[in-house]
Amino acid sequence: MVIDVSISLSNTFNPKFPSCVAKLGHDELVLIELQGTLDIECDEDTTRDGQFVGKLNLKDANKPTLIIGHHLLEGKIVTLPKPLGVAHRKESSKRHDFPGDGDSSRSVEDTLSSSVSWGIVAVVKKKIVFSKRPMPIVNLGGSTQRGKV
Amino acid sequence: MSELDLRLSTATAQDTGSFRLLELPPELCQIIESASEKTARWIFLSTTVTPSLFIKGHPTEDAVLCTSEKTYAVRSVVLSNTVLVVTPSRSDPDGTVHIRDQLHEILELVPVVPKLHKLSILLRDMEYDEGDEDRQATMPKYSYDQARSEIQASEAEFSRGLKDRRILILEGQLRPIAPAHLSTILELLLNYLISLSLSYQAAVVEELVSVLADEHEIPRAVSNQVISWFGDVKDGLWKMDADAVIRELGIGILRHHRHNPISENEFLKKWKNVVGDTFESSVKLTLLSGDYLRNLSSIGEETTLTYFPSSALPVDPAARFVELFLTRQRWKHEEIEHFLLDIAVNSKERDKLLLKHARALTDSEGVWYTARVSYSN
Repeated sequence: MVIDVSISLSNTFNPKFPSCVAKLGHDELVLIELQGTLDIECDEDTTRDGQFVGKLNLKDANKPTLIIGHHLLEGKIVTLPKPLGVAHRKESSKRHDFPGDGDSSRSVEDTLSSSVSWGIVAVVKKKIVFSKRPMPIVNLGGSTQRGKV
Repeated sequence: MSELDLRLSTATAQDTGSFRLLELPPELCQIIESASEKTARWIFLSTTVTPSLFIKGHPTEDAVLCTSEKTYAVRSVVLSNTVLVVTPSRSDPDGTVHIRDQLHEILELVPVVPKLHKLSILLRDMEYDEGDEDRQATMPKYSYDQARSEIQASEAEFSRGLKDRRILILEGQLRPIAPAHLSTILELLLNYLISLSLSYQAAVVEELVSVLADEHEIPRAVSNQVISWFGDVKDGLWKMDADAVIRELGIGILRHHRHNPISENEFLKKWKNVVGDTFESSVKLTLLSGDYLRNLSSIGEETTLTYFPSSALPVDPAARFVELFLTRQRWKHEEIEHFLLDIAVNSKERDKLLLKHARALTDSEGVWYTARVSYSN
């Protein structure tokens, strides 16, 4: 089985980041590292789409902050020891050009292998790491999300 | 605006699990970055050139990533932290960013030797020998295309592997050539170079192929490929790699002495005889490094040689060292290194293997390696 990995580093995600994010080295993709996991309470999968998680503030490049619910996270920008390639799975329906009347076992295998294709969409050299414990904050409008750390 | 809304993706179901992080070794990073520059340039010329990266492997195998030249093992490293992949928003590019995926692992890429050894097992019953055209119909088949998609090796390594293993591609099928038949063809080639008074620096391929086909019924496809294994063919002219031919002929003789040693002098005599006067002076034992063992004589006896091909040794490093140290209790560095070439990517890796599986001893004769554990009894 061969999985194609294409390389298309530019113009994958059409709009670019505002300059405060872009100055981290990549204008279309950024990696944020959190301790623990984001735990989002949602009843149905569809309500997750576009769900508000928190506020990311990058005014001071040395001290990025992330506010999730009543918690404030302070982070830092770290240069990765080795650059990371970000691979994105593509939903491809392009390679179905083999004759449909062929033996079924073969075509099933072909569909499986051809429907998976990955593309390296970015090479990232820096990430934002929020490694400290969250600080509780008051006087902010409540929201339904909670960052569990 | 420096404060951004962090939101989940607008299509979480589709995005979740669709991202992976690959830790890029410097040379791979360079390939990717230069490749993207090239594609950017080629778009203007309206040609589609996709730089080739492939993930290869059977579902039961560990996956590898291949560039056009090299092979990397893909290993998953689990992170205790979460890494969010964040991209700009289409609807509100200035104020919102989206979390596209949450990842808990990165994939590490480590250069490895291509897994070509499978070929010899897969092709065991498909050897090509003189006059076996009748057998062809009943023979199991393994096609070039099938092998290319199944063998975990990059394009360059794969074609080099076929060449090194002396595997013919006949009508799209892979057929390793019978060693004895190969020696015959090479001997014939050397003879015809002389009798047709062609220079081995620039011999007309067509002439050689024709004479082999007409007088010895060797198919053109076979002799053409054999010629291309042993040197460069350019504009129909063959620049023979004399050392490679001499080496192959030497192995052809030595092959019969796997269990019954041959005296070194006798072997050299036979070898020189086969290669002929022109190349007699190029005959030297070092050409056969990694394929023979030299048994030093005790007093009054001759030095003898046995055939000991590294290609027949186990691929797993530990198993290989067991076999090496069972064959000999101790090895000189210069000797053992030839038997480790095909399992280590570079000399650094090789030394690591030596450090791990062998014990070094230094005496007046230099560095010796012995087994870390005692295998006998």
